[in-house]
Amino acid sequence: MNADASEPVAQAHLDLIPIGKVDPLAASVVAANLQAILGLNTNILDSLPEPDYAFLARRGQYEAGKILRELASMPDGSRFKLGLVQVDIYTPILTFVYGESQLGGKAALISLSRIHDQDPMKIYIRAAKIGIHEMGHLLGIVHCRAPDCLMHFSSNLEQLDTLPLRFCNACEYEARRRLRYLFGG
Amino acid sequence: MKSSTHIMVVDDEETICEALMAWFVKDGYKVETALSGDEALKRLQDKPFDIFIVDLKMPGMDGIELLSRIKEKLSDAVVVMITAHGSIQTAVEAMKRGAIDYLCKPFDPDELSLLMERVMTHKALQQENIALKERLLEQQEDAVDVCIVHSEPMRKIFASIEEMAPSLAPILITGETGVGKDLVARAIHLKSERAFGPFVAVNCGALSESLLESELYGHERGAFTGAVKTRRGRLEMADKGTLFLDEIGEISTKVQVSLLRALEEKHFLRLGGSHPISSDFRLVSATHRDLSPLIKENQFREDFYYRINVITIHIPPLRERLEDIPALSDYFFKRYVEETGKHLEGFTQKALELLESYAWPGNVRELRNIIERAVVIAKGRMIGAEELKFLDSGSSPIEIGSLTLEEIEINHIKTTLASCKGNISRTANRLGINRSTLARKIKRYDVKIHD
Repeated sequence: MNADASEPVAQAHLDLIPIGKVDPLAASVVAANLQAILGLNTNILDSLPEPDYAFLARRGQYEAGKILRELASMPDGSRFKLGLVQVDIYTPILTFVYGESQLGGKAALISLSRIHDQDPMKIYIRAAKIGIHEMGHLLGIVHCRAPDCLMHFSSNLEQLDTLPLRFCNACEYEARRRLRYLFGG
Repeated sequence: MKSSTHIMVVDDEETICEALMAWFVKDGYKVETALSGDEALKRLQDKPFDIFIVDLKMPGMDGIELLSRIKEKLSDAVVVMITAHGSIQTAVEAMKRGAIDYLCKPFDPDELSLLMERVMTHKALQQENIALKERLLEQQEDAVDVCIVHSEPMRKIFASIEEMAPSLAPILITGETGVGKDLVARAIHLKSERAFGPFVAVNCGALSESLLESELYGHERGAFTGAVKTRRGRLEMADKGTLFLDEIGEISTKVQVSLLRALEEKHFLRLGGSHPISSDFRLVSATHRDLSPLIKENQFREDFYYRINVITIHIPPLRERLEDIPALSDYFFKRYVEETGKHLEGFTQKALELLESYAWPGNVRELRNIIERAVVIAKGRMIGAEELKFLDSGSSPIEIGSLTLEEIEINHIKTTLASCKGNISRTANRLGINRSTLARKIKRYDVKIHD
């Protein structure tokens, strides 16, 4: 992992891409946790412009699916792309989402819009939890029924804050197995 | 459970289908999508689905029509309607037609996850309900098993149960202690349309007058010393089911009066209560006593007697239906062998003869207890005379005083034939006559041979 966007890490597994204006410290904390918890070498790339192409004026929000497709179409870089936005994102069926991902796919997204708090560290930890949860989906892991597993679905901040920054044994095992399959080692 | 739950999402907007599919797949469900009602019904021909998420407004077949068509094919399917904010009225209409809930697009993540929790709880209850009903049907079969009948009078009783079970008329079952009045009451309940309702039994002979009243009608908190909380009575508990009052001949005239009123007015008060409580139950009563002399002595009210005795079933004692003994013995033998896990094969010839020659003053209950005891103490592979020797010593002769010699002969031939499962040669051998003599007697007396 390298917090400095100008120096890419060797053999990075994941590109973390700020989109639009995003707190750079949030990106660093998310990258550090992905490295510490899942062992993913994370390369923080230069910021992309604001995702205006995904904006829907009627809802005043940005469609997560469009941003994911944009990230997935990036030709170079690491196996996985994780976008980080400040704007509020949605899916056609939900009023908002904290994050979104392609199950077993290439791209995922974290939004900082609805996880705001007076304490910036709380925001960063929430963003890290969303990032690791979405990364679990990229590895093909579905929601877990164990209430103390980060793959458990949280529909509000209270639930998200209750979750620990780790997977349960079963999800941890599955994540390691899939990472070994993808990257060896 | 999620991974075995199949969801079908039906919406004419592809983006909605995809988004819902993505969410449900991430939540661990198996999901398929259809862009129209017709497509959904076509898919339904290939395999069943558990949950349907259906858009209300679709071109062609709309959500309401699709809901009805799904319910026609799969009555236990759970259907959730999704709708735009403007059409809530139609969504309410859909719920009246069997949809479990509706969601307005777009939904709050909290709403969707709570809805799915509710739907899954509903599915779990539905499955539990199916399992319980299956168990009840098994019990129904068991009840029929236990009422194994070979004799003519019992066959008639069971044929009449089939006829009278669906009606609401009160039934009075009479018969000696131990003939299985409670089993007949249960068989009536299980054969009736109330089979899935409760079967509530009260032994009236075992309770004092005040306790019986409290047991029947329930009581409010503080109704009497010791009534620390409100308690529902048996009449209330039997709502939509059957109330079985055993030993009804033992209840006092005071309770008879209050019960008569409750039966006629269809409602009653809890002890210490002021709100009338109504309960819809079918009454089945039983007694081992002849109620006629009690009526003459004013110990049993005539009006109450006629109220509870619209239909009478008299169960003859076991000594009057010896043909039932082999089958009942075999039934209890198998039951206790299974319970004890012993490796026993059956009864010896001598043991069967002993069972058939005993008078059975305690009727079926005594037979059951004796077989249980014999199974427990049996040492070899068969239950022999050794295991039943207490029958030999304590047996009382069958009451045959009123029978003619011919009737005794017919009875004995019938009993022996039944115990030999209709085998003529074995029966002749046991009766000590040759086969052709037995055949002649069977023809002369018109004895029916059952396997």
